[in-house]
Amino acid sequence: MRRRLFALMVAGLMALSLVGCGGGDGASGSDGSGSSGNSIRLVNGKIEVDSQLKKLAEMYEKETGVHVEIESMGGGIDIQGELKAYYQSDNMPDIFVCGGEADFNNWVGNLQDMSDQAWVSDTDAAYVSDEGTIGFPYTTEAVGLAYNADILEKAGVDPASITSPAALKSAFETIDSKKDELGLTAVIGYFAEPVNLYWSTGNHLFGTYLDEGLARDDTTYIDMLNDGGKLDDARFAKFADMVELFNEYADQSLLVSGTYDQQILNFASGKYAFVTQGSWIGATMTTDDKDAYEAAGSFKCGMAPYAFDDGIDTILTNSPSWWAVYKDGNVEEAEKFLQWLTTDPAQEVLVMEAGFISPYKSCSYVANDPFAQTISDYTAAGKTSAWHWLNMTDGYAQNYTGQVFADFASGSIDKAKFIEIFKQVTEQAYAQ
Amino acid sequence: MSSNKSAQRIASIVVLLLGLVSTIVALVIDIMGMELSFRGALLILGILLFFTGLYFIPTQKHHKTIINIIFLFPLLFCFAVTVIIPFGLGLFYSTTDWNGIRMTGFVGLSNYTAMFKDPSFLWSLIITVVFVIINMIAVNVIGLALAVLCTSKIRAVGFFRAAYFIPNLIGGIVLGYIWQFIFNNVVLKWTLDAFNYNSSMLSKYNTAFLAIVMVYVWQYAGYIMMIYITGLTTVPSDVIEAAAIDGATAVQTFFKIKLPMIASTITICTFLTLQSAFKQFDVNMSLTNGTGSVQDFMGQYLSNGTQMLALNIYNTAITKNNYAMGQAKAVLFFIILSIVSILQVRISNKREVEM
Repeated sequence: MRRRLFALMVAGLMALSLVGCGGGDGASGSDGSGSSGNSIRLVNGKIEVDSQLKKLAEMYEKETGVHVEIESMGGGIDIQGELKAYYQSDNMPDIFVCGGEADFNNWVGNLQDMSDQAWVSDTDAAYVSDEGTIGFPYTTEAVGLAYNADILEKAGVDPASITSPAALKSAFETIDSKKDELGLTAVIGYFAEPVNLYWSTGNHLFGTYLDEGLARDDTTYIDMLNDGGKLDDARFAKFADMVELFNEYADQSLLVSGTYDQQILNFASGKYAFVTQGSWIGATMTTDDKDAYEAAGSFKCGMAPYAFDDGIDTILTNSPSWWAVYKDGNVEEAEKFLQWLTTDPAQEVLVMEAGFISPYKSCSYVANDPFAQTISDYTAAGKTSAWHWLNMTDGYAQNYTGQVFADFASGSIDKAKFIEIFKQVTEQAYAQ
Repeated sequence: MSSNKSAQRIASIVVLLLGLVSTIVALVIDIMGMELSFRGALLILGILLFFTGLYFIPTQKHHKTIINIIFLFPLLFCFAVTVIIPFGLGLFYSTTDWNGIRMTGFVGLSNYTAMFKDPSFLWSLIITVVFVIINMIAVNVIGLALAVLCTSKIRAVGFFRAAYFIPNLIGGIVLGYIWQFIFNNVVLKWTLDAFNYNSSMLSKYNTAFLAIVMVYVWQYAGYIMMIYITGLTTVPSDVIEAAAIDGATAVQTFFKIKLPMIASTITICTFLTLQSAFKQFDVNMSLTNGTGSVQDFMGQYLSNGTQMLALNIYNTAITKNNYAMGQAKAVLFFIILSIVSILQVRISNKREVEM
């Protein structure tokens, strides 16, 4: 009998501890989903500014007492996939990053319309859909043919003259003939590696086909593409000519297999006159590659249009992604935090420390970034086009076109074949 | 006495019912999505009450069965929650147009039929089978050769054993990136100097496939070697001595005595490599992420030349944002793997009976 009593006691104790655990789980669960009054959670897609955002969160907590948890993802993580897992496990953040039409379409009906917020009238870069203003812009990025102004000057090439394929070609030829005296490895740092750099070719470079030279609201080519994957033959042929030119003058040892780090380091060291990356490399050049950049004389940088057709004179600027507010989360506090981010103290951190180019008109800070000047020049002159590649179908660059660019670069297909295959894979991607 | 018993019966049944009710209430609260934080505690309490009631039911006849059920329950519960229910849900989702967040309707079996009409998926299926066959042979032959080497009387055997085994301790992702660096920088430099060939091994599907095989063998052969070493050391030394006295050469001893003695180890290793090669994912993802172009397969250009089945499923669901199709492919993957497993159990059982 005594033994049985003992067994019962042990069982009771275990039950109690289990209940205790269960209760604890329940409590921490509600904390985690951020629905408790004074805490919000933000999923950030730019891991490189993680520390700056955490600093902002601290500032905000000091000011208002609301705790902001910053959760940064990046470096090859599929953020939308991760968010879906959060959604499945009922662990949604209050604010999360969305990168374009396909991302926003995933969450139709789940996002808060922020049209009534004060910041909306202060920017042109918000993401607006049928559901209202659902995306909060936090930075502006530019895609253009980035160049080393010092080298171009020494070679006697005027970057402002690059507005036609002929001018682009003659610039390349001029620089190529003086390669040795300028200390260049190659004229252009064009990398077409398909595993880790597919986004550079498949999204950004191809984005120039969609938008270069067009007005910001001109959707001719993206509409054609989204209509079952159609390409404009004449325009694409000219685009292919430009890619062929890049292949010819690129750094052959790294063209098909180089990494992003090598590309930026070599450009920062003054080994390439041009590089096919956007304004975000400025941050890398002044932090990670600082030594090499200073050794190369902290040269001036600029951006030329990807002039594959006559008269192209714009660069592509846009908000690369937006922050959306989850409808079932802590909407009120999330909206307050976003509004606070547009105020001066927050903008100072975002611009001066995170290196963002503010999409807000009221912001008076200018980043100490090699590309900040050229972007504001183009913006002031009204010579910018949008980034409609954000509206391409899911996985188009990663699973389809990145590889085609790589094949063209390695020489296993020629230009005619490149065009033919490009059209074929585009149809495949849109048939899905 | 009998009144005592009936009182106990009533009490236990009440406790049992109470447990059942609170369990159901907890589940209903959860399914309805009500924000009540005590539902977890209620569920556990309900289950415990249920079993306490069950335990104290005064019955001689079924007491043993009840005890068995109580002891089996934790395991069955975990198995159901982590395997059976998700599997059922997976089957269900594979017949819908689910995108990971919501579903708008049923599509029947069209995911399954579409999958077999998709050349890139068929390509993945084919190269996975080729990969499995090549690896089954290569890993076993190399693993066995290393095992023979590491059981012979050379110096520093311990060092070699450790050295061959260590790659298996490195995670597949890390290993993939290390080798990616080697192929893209070191090997590329050689080929550029020697043939003026500007693309790395990883940029063409056939050489990239070879690269994955190499890395995989490098990673896995050490592990298989360890199993073979265990097998080889269990071969009785008297048999080997007897063979030596009869004048058998080392080669003869190996093929006529050692190899037949470790036949069961060979079976185990064959299936181990077969299964793990089928499920190959991490090295594939970090080394090439499925890239590599195939110029013409069933009249189409494919950009997923080295994408194996597991990676294809992942890519379909995550990057192409088509969770339902990915789920359908995963069901097929499950069927293939279960056939392999059943075969394995059958064959090893048969062999054990023979021995």
